[in-house]
Amino acid sequence: MRQKNPFLYYGGKVLSFAVSLFLLSLAAFYVARLAPGDPLVSYYGDRAEKMTVQEREQAEARLGLDRPVHVQYIRWLEGAVRGDFGISYKYRTEALSVIAARLPNTLILGGIGFLLIFTGALALGAICAWNEGNLLDRFICKAGTVVSCIPEFWMSLVLILIFSVHLRWLPSSGAYTIGGGGIANRAVHLVLPLTVTVAGHLWYYAYMIRNRLLEEIRADYVLLARAKGLGRRKVLFRHCLRSVLPTYLSLMAISVPHILGGTYIVETVFSYPGIGTLSYESARYQDYNLLMLLCILSGGLVILCNILAQIVSERIDPRMRSGETPEVTDHG
Amino acid sequence: MSVLLEIKNLSVSFRTAQGEVEAVRDVSFSLSPGEVLAIVGESGCGKSVLCRSIMKLLPGNGWIRGGTILADGTDITHYTQRDMERLRGRLFSMVFQDPLTALNPTITIGAQIAEAVRVHQPKAKKAAVRRRVLELMDLVGIPGGEERYGRYPHEFSGGMRQRSVMAIALASGPRILFADEPTTALDVTIQAQILDLLRDVQARLGAAAILVTHDLGVVARAADRVAVMYAGKIVEYGTVEDIFYDPRHPYTWGLLRSLPAWAEDGQPLYTIPGMPPSLIDPPKGDAFACRNEYALAIDYQEAPPMFRISDTHYAATWLLDARAPKIQGGWSHA
Amino acid sequence: MPEILLDIQHLTHDFRLGRKRTVRAVDDVSFQMQKGEIFGLVGESGSGKSTVAKCVMSILSPSAGKIRYLGVNICDPGQFRSHRKLLQTSRQMIFQDSTSSLNPRMTVAAIISEPLEIHHIRPPRGSLREEAAFQLKCVGLDPGCLDRRPPELSGGQRQRVAIARALSMSPELLVADEPIASLDVSIQAQIINLFRHLQREHGFTFLFIAHDLAVVRYLCDRVGVMLGGKLVEEAPSGELFANPLHPYTQALLSAIPVPDPCRERARTPVIFDSAQFDREGVLTEVLPGHRVLRKGAAS
Repeated sequence: MRQKNPFLYYGGKVLSFAVSLFLLSLAAFYVARLAPGDPLVSYYGDRAEKMTVQEREQAEARLGLDRPVHVQYIRWLEGAVRGDFGISYKYRTEALSVIAARLPNTLILGGIGFLLIFTGALALGAICAWNEGNLLDRFICKAGTVVSCIPEFWMSLVLILIFSVHLRWLPSSGAYTIGGGGIANRAVHLVLPLTVTVAGHLWYYAYMIRNRLLEEIRADYVLLARAKGLGRRKVLFRHCLRSVLPTYLSLMAISVPHILGGTYIVETVFSYPGIGTLSYESARYQDYNLLMLLCILSGGLVILCNILAQIVSERIDPRMRSGETPEVTDHG
Repeated sequence: MSVLLEIKNLSVSFRTAQGEVEAVRDVSFSLSPGEVLAIVGESGCGKSVLCRSIMKLLPGNGWIRGGTILADGTDITHYTQRDMERLRGRLFSMVFQDPLTALNPTITIGAQIAEAVRVHQPKAKKAAVRRRVLELMDLVGIPGGEERYGRYPHEFSGGMRQRSVMAIALASGPRILFADEPTTALDVTIQAQILDLLRDVQARLGAAAILVTHDLGVVARAADRVAVMYAGKIVEYGTVEDIFYDPRHPYTWGLLRSLPAWAEDGQPLYTIPGMPPSLIDPPKGDAFACRNEYALAIDYQEAPPMFRISDTHYAATWLLDARAPKIQGGWSHA
Repeated sequence: MPEILLDIQHLTHDFRLGRKRTVRAVDDVSFQMQKGEIFGLVGESGSGKSTVAKCVMSILSPSAGKIRYLGVNICDPGQFRSHRKLLQTSRQMIFQDSTSSLNPRMTVAAIISEPLEIHHIRPPRGSLREEAAFQLKCVGLDPGCLDRRPPELSGGQRQRVAIARALSMSPELLVADEPIASLDVSIQAQIINLFRHLQREHGFTFLFIAHDLAVVRYLCDRVGVMLGGKLVEEAPSGELFANPLHPYTQALLSAIPVPDPCRERARTPVIFDSAQFDREGVLTEVLPGHRVLRKGAAS
């Protein structure tokens, strides 16, 4: 049997995705309720503090917070399956629509940042491996280490100071100027947050690529490829990068939450209206429904990325395919 | 007879943290078309380095200190990597010890052979390349080429992998084939097959081969001429008959006598005492002197020159000097 | 009647590959080792010889079958626990690659004396250091090596350290898995001589695993041949080399290279077609002490 039934194969992946998501929601739901704080405050504002005991009970009953946690969970799950994720206590509208308004901003920032990190690290790693031990390699290595050691919030503040306060070239906050939101305007607003996101992560991945490439370059098959008469560049791109890619792809997939977490900080510093600021607020104000939805979204993204990474690695590296006969029998 | 490859006084060094390692010291030999030259020696004697320095595939910290490499009458000692790329595959090619690590695990066998075909024929049509790959697979004895074309290295047995590596090496019709311990990683039962294939293919294509090995059984099966290397130098040089039936260097005696195949029941194996010297600061005089039971005083003073024994047979030991005592029974063939 | 030290009965070991697939590395292997003999186990890579060694050393626990060592069934966790000290001190192993099997950060003295420390054995020659120096001398190394670390030693020296470490426990059973495969020819001969010498001196029982038949013929008293996880033939060394009965053994023996150009080139190896290997046979004693895998004849 050379190839597995694709229906079973992808079916299995979808099933494992669903199970992981279910477990994640269960954990997030319980843990959120363990945190200290009062969800009523986010719904009623300061009024909640002056409520009588009776009023509080009524309010909790209205929001369904008086039931035992597992009952609350089952009700939440019933709604979630139907696509109803409840209302946000703070914004007093449907949680889904609150997120829908903010999601594109984060996707733009995170997506572009991710792509830049992904391709930039590959290019930088390849450049370093190509020039191993040279001045360029040593310079990039040193500079990268220094830059990646700078905390993101501090770097953001310094950049704002230089480019927004002193030079006045770039805006210091927001995703677009209120009133006018052309592409150019958005792009200008993205420059600083993107710089911080990319600078913080780029080096780590570039360094990994560099070292993995150097490992590959020392392998025998590279020598054979050179002995065939293949040029150094072709060997690097056709053979070494191909061997490095599966590990790199799975690492990048796992790093999605890491980079996402970075954008959360960046969003907060630059007051960028995205998911990051929203997550922070929802956790701070016990906005359970919003928090759950954000958890499911981020967690789902992570799990999805892992599964995708697995599929991609298996496609690229034939050894990782399970369920194959390892060796063709022969004699001689 | 014309000479395909001529090495004159080649020295190769490596820069390491401990100092300069003189891996190859003043080595000279020549190779004629159609012959198989075996380079025999223990690990660290510089035999692999010698091959790689001829192909200019040394790691970054190695360099050619001196000497000349004449390939087909052209001095290639100072060729750049780009110049070498034109020669690799066509003039010389290489087979490695471990076929599993020599093949890229992520690319099918067919594609890896095809890549080797295309290196020197970049404009070849797809169908023509495929035809050539199948031809090569047939040449090296891989049955069912069509079916195996799309298979990956891990799906092949050790012997089949080594045949694939050989197909890659032969893709552009090289005139010199370097085989670096081609059978060491293979099972005993297929070693002879691979060696016979090497000889057969080399004879059919009229190519010359340099066979690097530590195994005298391999030498006996496949070589025409033998160069014995010790501590970076060639210590004895001759036809396979010269070396096996009339060895003159004490190191060659030691190598032959220590083989378990010649051991007599109940007798301990013969061993060469001591171990090879460090090549960071090679000893003065003959590097083998301190392990040589027949060492002369001059061995510790001055390195011996190559003494001529016959037109084909040379050895570097002071024992061959007219003034040296005659040694009886250094090696008597069973 | 010589005493039997190791009795392996129907040993089977499966390796798991993924959730459902298993590979049978060792398939119903039975043999016995007498006290004080050198038993050689030969076969190609993947024939299961190393797996047998690991089962004997309790590194792997077999899927089926019994291994009795001095009458103790070492596959039984209860019996293993009650004889733990005996089992751990009197069986020692040497690996092929001494570069990876010796901790590069430990000194030679520490490597050799570590097993004594672990088992709280009072060193017979005073201090641990003196004991280590003595063991080094036994394997032909200079006590000056005591404070060096494995990376500073040559391959042959490292393998000697590994042997000294194993012998510091004065084991009853020494298992060596391809101990000379990664060494040079001239060093191989030194180590083989050392094994012979030490075995005569200490009288330990020696399970020697190798693929080099010339070495096995020289060193071993009895030889077992493995193929695809099966023991296909077992005989005293002289008998096996003079009179191989199984077609695979014949192929294997015909593959031994002869370091003599004329004879080597005249030699045509017998080719064994693995497709025709019949796994269903039973190891049958055809001559005294000579057993071969044969079909049908149940003993």
